[in-house]
Amino acid sequence: MRIVVLLKAVPVVGNEKLVDGWRVDRSAGLEANGNDEYVLEAGLKLIEQHGGELVTLTMCPTPAMEAIRKALAMGAARAVHVQDPALAGSDTLATGLVLSAALRKLEYDLVFAGADTSDGQGGIVGAAVASRLGLPYLSYAARIEPDPGAGTVRVRRISATGYDVIEAPMPAFVAGTQLLGEPRYPSLRGIMQARQKEIASWTLADVGVEPSSVGSAASQTEVDSATPPPPRGGATVVREAPEVAAERIVEFLASRRLV
Amino acid sequence: MSERLTPEQVELRDAVRELARDRIAPRAAEIDERGEFPRDVVELLARHDVFALGYPTEYGGLGEPLLTNCLMIEEVSRVCATSGLILAVQALGSLPLLLAGSDEQKRRWIPGLASGELLDAFALTEAGAGSDPAGIRTRAVRDDGGWRIDGTKRFISHGSVADLVAVFAVTDPDAGRHRDLSCFYVERGMPGFEVSRLEHKMGIRGSPTAELVFDGVRVPDANRVGAVGDGFRIAMRTLDRSRPGVAAQAVGIAQGATDAAVAYAKERVQFGKPIGEQQMVQAMLADMATRTEAARQLLYEACDRIERGDRDGSRWAAMCKLFAGDTAMAVTTDAVQVLGGYGYITEYPVERMMRDAKITQLYEGTQQIQRLVIARALLSAQ
Amino acid sequence: MAGEIWAVGEIADGQPTRLTRELATLAAGLAAASGRTARSVLVGAGASAAAESLAAHGPDVLAVDVDAGDRPVAAAIAEQIAALARDRQPSFLLVGASNDGRDVAGMLQAMLDWGALVNAAGVRWQGDGPQAEMSVFGGRLVTQSHLAGDHGIVIVRPSAVAAEEAAQPGAIERVGAAAVEPLPAVRVVDRISEASAVVSIEEAPIIVAGGRGVGGPDGFAVVEELAEALGGVVGATRAVVDAGWIGYAHQIGQTGKTVKPSLYVAAGISGAIQHKVGMQTSGTIVAINRDPDAPIGEFADLMVVGDLFEILPRVSAAVRARRGG
Repeated sequence: MRIVVLLKAVPVVGNEKLVDGWRVDRSAGLEANGNDEYVLEAGLKLIEQHGGELVTLTMCPTPAMEAIRKALAMGAARAVHVQDPALAGSDTLATGLVLSAALRKLEYDLVFAGADTSDGQGGIVGAAVASRLGLPYLSYAARIEPDPGAGTVRVRRISATGYDVIEAPMPAFVAGTQLLGEPRYPSLRGIMQARQKEIASWTLADVGVEPSSVGSAASQTEVDSATPPPPRGGATVVREAPEVAAERIVEFLASRRLV
Repeated sequence: MSERLTPEQVELRDAVRELARDRIAPRAAEIDERGEFPRDVVELLARHDVFALGYPTEYGGLGEPLLTNCLMIEEVSRVCATSGLILAVQALGSLPLLLAGSDEQKRRWIPGLASGELLDAFALTEAGAGSDPAGIRTRAVRDDGGWRIDGTKRFISHGSVADLVAVFAVTDPDAGRHRDLSCFYVERGMPGFEVSRLEHKMGIRGSPTAELVFDGVRVPDANRVGAVGDGFRIAMRTLDRSRPGVAAQAVGIAQGATDAAVAYAKERVQFGKPIGEQQMVQAMLADMATRTEAARQLLYEACDRIERGDRDGSRWAAMCKLFAGDTAMAVTTDAVQVLGGYGYITEYPVERMMRDAKITQLYEGTQQIQRLVIARALLSAQ
Repeated sequence: MAGEIWAVGEIADGQPTRLTRELATLAAGLAAASGRTARSVLVGAGASAAAESLAAHGPDVLAVDVDAGDRPVAAAIAEQIAALARDRQPSFLLVGASNDGRDVAGMLQAMLDWGALVNAAGVRWQGDGPQAEMSVFGGRLVTQSHLAGDHGIVIVRPSAVAAEEAAQPGAIERVGAAAVEPLPAVRVVDRISEASAVVSIEEAPIIVAGGRGVGGPDGFAVVEELAEALGGVVGATRAVVDAGWIGYAHQIGQTGKTVKPSLYVAAGISGAIQHKVGMQTSGTIVAINRDPDAPIGEFADLMVVGDLFEILPRVSAAVRARRGG
């Protein structure tokens, strides 16, 4: 089984900031997107079970070694990094274009991605990539069960009332959630082996995408302003005994017409 | 950060730092309070190949130098000294095997030690023979092609949980000083080998310290490592390589205490501002950080020299252990001071760190013995 | 001629979802501000019937009855919406930030090659197009963004506006399904209902959430009791979901749901960044925590230091007494 995991390198949660032109600052260190680690874990388990190879695919204008190395240390066989300065400032449209172009150059039975990203929060690139590649799209996965014999994959998709069991022929695109299970910590052996693994660096030319169709200049969205949210008033602190504290809560709610 | 460390060492260190922070730190207070050996931590370290790091690759290890192993001990001790000691003792108990064992003996035991399936211990000390191995009374006599061991060892870290114990016994009482000892690996379950007591300790309370009784234990000659009469030399060479492990534990404890004190100083408000804005507190924090870093650099330098086979390795091992142990004691004491009354109670970790720090001034040679080793090396070199 | 603003709707149990109604109101407001035309688009099984109540919000409704059969909703409707858009050339599509909505929006982006403003917490008309407000980086920044071209997709979070009925209901136009090339086959094999999953915390006006401080699955009883008394739903942190104390459907935060209720009660929740990002734009935040230094105090409106097991039942009783009296 061949699995490609789309791995986004995002600013470390809690340290994100914007730099000139409202771009996400990538200079202060990047980590693998949280939801991507869940699908990576799910992919690694499937490889352990069925054999095969898991490759990560990252698109990032700057080096993203920490995020990629961690994935390799966890067990990915190799990594592809589409790295081109022209990618800076790309929107979801360009991201979908580039990732689908890169995937056309890879072989796979399954493509995995996290349900959304901690920096962009869009959660739409997976569906766009699947559409561009004509792949069945199975989203919000809580469980992924391929059947290599039948050439199909079954997914538990979270629904408003529980979950749907959905099925499609492979190759297919699966976007997964935290319910797939905790990602492993890389073992030290894994970390040492990761240094020997291949990280292929591809340019836009390598994947056949015009630089003019990506990056800030081609972006279909523009940021007008970015400001801190209006400060909350600061908490009123209550330290009284439970009886009094409970009364104070109810009074407070009443004063704001919440009860 | 430090150019001394390779990018790979930094990566390995950071991985274990994360593991320690997320998985071991939350257990530390409980391990101390219950005084129970943390089997779950052993499993965790095994699963992530932390035990394997320092062993040769041909026996299932990862072939990393002494310094990398010390980085791991440091990171784990930063959150839990008992857990850090698990790594230090495993390395200590294996050293006689690595230094003097045959290829066959290494093949037999190292894969299990590297995977963490086997735990080991190092049994040199006796009630009457601490700093002075000349007082060792445990005897091993030839018996039917093998050996029969009789005696009692005391203060043996992991003695009660080890599968394999390196025991130093007198094989030839007449051979004279430094020629009378030999080293044997006694296996758990061998008839006559028993744990006779567990000590109640001030610190590293999750780490079992045992008294071991050997009552006519029959040990095959295949379990003897090194030549007969070579035991003292093996023990001393072992300590040259193991003392940095204690220093690493001490640096870790000191760093953990500094972390806790800095965090507290930032959030604790008195007289209308965080206490970290008081100059007297700032001075303490500055000294704690500086001492800890100095101990760390001395440790790293010692590791590099010992790894390179520096002829003065014993002195470097003793110096780093001496300085780091004293640093851990001083820094943890100051950390308790920074936290004031909160530092003295179990709600915060620094009182535990202070209790744990004390052992680093005692085991694998007291600080006085380290000074002796250092001074002798200096004087004999002239 | 300036293109239309479409609100792309969803149908659940034969009715437009609450988010769909909000989009209709939002589209009407943007149309009023820009002098353009708003239109709701409802595609799916029972679209014509659901259109009746959706029309009450003002915009005319385009209804396409398509039986999805055993296909997931997004796969069944995205190509129909794309066909309509190619045919009628609207300028802007408002799509809800629900699971199905995001899937549809991603597919539409690829089919139409349009840009998308994602995760909008509010949308207003600015200059020549919609301007979306988005909370980013754990709520430390609020951005305002617009679409560069004269068309695009805006993905709108629940509660960006309150759905309102219009004085003049819209007309309903029924359109036949377009003959489009079908998307690759994804089949729904089974639909499983789980009682624990039926919570719509994203739409709830009041949430009472529990964290590690509730101590265990049984500890949620006092949280549930207060949620019931207040007429709200139960939320949770990732730690307690991971621990198996409560289902994922309740999880709020970075890898769970983002919520914006008018009242958020945080019981035994420290307020770590991963949780904070999911709830900090709530109207009023009340925290109950043993630890006076818990970070939640930094963004709560009322911080109560104490034992939640002592306090919550008393609040529940007092709230019930007020209701009764």
